[in-house]
Amino acid sequence: MTSVHQLVPTISPRDAVGNHTLALREVIRGLGCESEIFSMFRHPDLMSDTHYVDHLPPDADIVIYQFSIGSPVAERWAQHPALKIANYHNITPISLVGKWDGLLAAEVQLGRDQMARYAAHCDHAICDSDFNKSELDELGYTSTETIPVLFDVTNAAPDSSALAKLERNRRGTQVLFVGRIAPNKAHHDLVAAVRTLRELHGDDAHLHFVGTDGPPGYRKIVETIVTHAGMRDHVTFHGSVSQEELVAHYVSADVFCCLSDHEGFCVPVIEAMHHGLPVVAFDCTAVGETVGNGGLLLKDKNPLVVACALHRVSSDSGLAQRLRTAGRQRAKYFDRGITQDHFGEYLSTLLGSL
Amino acid sequence: MSDSESDANYFKEVVAEIEAEAQRRSSSGEYPRALLRSLDEEFRRWIPDASLENGVEDTIRSIESAAYVDPAVPINSKSPLGRCVKWTVRRLTYFYHRHVTQQITALGIHITRPLRLLDASLKSVNKRLAALEDRLDVDVSTRSELLSGITIPTSFEDFDGVLSQHFKQVSGRVLIGDLPNSRLLKNLRDGGVDAYGVTSSDAPTQEAVDVRHEHLFDHLGDLHNESLGGFILCGIPDQASINEQLRALRLLLLRSKPGAAVAVIVIHSETWTKRLSPVATDLLHGRPMHEETWSYLLNREGASNIRVVQSSDSSYCLITAIL
Repeated sequence: MTSVHQLVPTISPRDAVGNHTLALREVIRGLGCESEIFSMFRHPDLMSDTHYVDHLPPDADIVIYQFSIGSPVAERWAQHPALKIANYHNITPISLVGKWDGLLAAEVQLGRDQMARYAAHCDHAICDSDFNKSELDELGYTSTETIPVLFDVTNAAPDSSALAKLERNRRGTQVLFVGRIAPNKAHHDLVAAVRTLRELHGDDAHLHFVGTDGPPGYRKIVETIVTHAGMRDHVTFHGSVSQEELVAHYVSADVFCCLSDHEGFCVPVIEAMHHGLPVVAFDCTAVGETVGNGGLLLKDKNPLVVACALHRVSSDSGLAQRLRTAGRQRAKYFDRGITQDHFGEYLSTLLGSL
Repeated sequence: MSDSESDANYFKEVVAEIEAEAQRRSSSGEYPRALLRSLDEEFRRWIPDASLENGVEDTIRSIESAAYVDPAVPINSKSPLGRCVKWTVRRLTYFYHRHVTQQITALGIHITRPLRLLDASLKSVNKRLAALEDRLDVDVSTRSELLSGITIPTSFEDFDGVLSQHFKQVSGRVLIGDLPNSRLLKNLRDGGVDAYGVTSSDAPTQEAVDVRHEHLFDHLGDLHNESLGGFILCGIPDQASINEQLRALRLLLLRSKPGAAVAVIVIHSETWTKRLSPVATDLLHGRPMHEETWSYLLNREGASNIRVVQSSDSSYCLITAIL
């Protein structure tokens, strides 16, 4: 039986790359191949379902490396004699993390170095977005293909108590952003935009942040800014939430706003669109192609422009309705079934050429 | 046209309308730039890069405050008995804890002392570096010789009305530097503006006005950020090197509050060229900057309501703005 294994630095069930890796294993197994996941750091819940990196069989036919950070695991992949595929999820540039977290900066720098070095070792590369593909093309990767990340949009019922609480506290426009609290996600710009919305449009708006902490220090600084901007009562950090609570946020909010400076794909945008939440996003890196025709894409994230956009969406019900419909339509493009088929076809072709 | 294409076109139109609306509101003054600038300043102040400005000193201060170890262990407890037990233990072991913590505190102080020395020498290096950069320009003595054709007017009467109006509503102190004469200062003070002057000239002032006789950069170095309600920059735009002009502006902006009123008085470059010899205009390259350049620099810093007023003989111009 042909063996197609995956290597990933860290595997965790509540992580976009982790979920993608698990989903891809099922796709590969569906093609009749043997497929396992090998990782250096494994979440306790996945210990029995995955393997330590040292146990990667030397006679594997294809090894797929999930590339999103620098890691010694990449070296194992590069040295392996099998056909090598990189599944590139993008690496945040060091300029965006270097000043916040020295360790993370070292990891992303290593990742970028490895990315450049392994162009010669890699046989094929799969990228989440055309933006990611363009980065690899520039580095001289010869065979690159764009296939979106595999993810399940949760259709869980919204958590009733979380929903009730959100509804109880609702006053003005409820602005939501979902993502790790990291500088590349530009939470501070969202605070500026919502403050402008409140002060200049007379909207008793509230900003909801859902997501775990990223580099230590950034969260603290965002909180300091929130305090200095007089926004303590108008910004809530919800942290990491369950799937049901996340759905409650998508259902309850009025608009999803993403002002990230760097995204390799941005799953939460698709989730928001799937749940019929109008999306306003700053058009940079891969955000534009992910949003597509399903949301408002701003060329400028000046707080004035963003506040104006949020005000427009919240006050123009016709526009909001059209955004909801267009967003749902756009989300269908990333349906897991379609992406699975795309992966299946791509891998079948490769397997046929072995 | 498909639904998707129709949506895309509609959303593009909406974005264009949003951008136009933001632009319209911004230029009409409906969106006060000072408000927006204040949050931007707040973020820049807190990001790790910003620590380059005052960071070493702030870091040492935080180490110093952390170096003090308090031997008084908290005794709060949910139950009164617990509190009582903790209090007794603290009382009985206080001599021990105090002895240990005093040594730790002493160690902390000994660690921060060389850091203080390091900070002082860094500041000294920075100051010397700035002076060195200035010296790359024409030597100071040669500069004054070359600039002898330029005399700063004894007053800027043409601008009195505009300046009084511009600084009328300002809260906080207004710095005038490099103060050409006390008349400008007196006029503003008579109009109720809390103004003071800074001049590098040793000539005594005639009127009883608040004038500091020190170099503008030294004075700005002693001020806290956001401590000024406004400033008038004059003299330096006519005489100093481009490096000094930009440094003066940068420091003045840092020391000004959001919403501060600012003014720059600068000689016209045509007047400058007419009054000076070709040798001087060649060697004093880069000055004076045009009013357009000052307007551009202020605009880049997020200033609004930028206005340019010419003097009656078109030899000087005044640029005013709100931060």
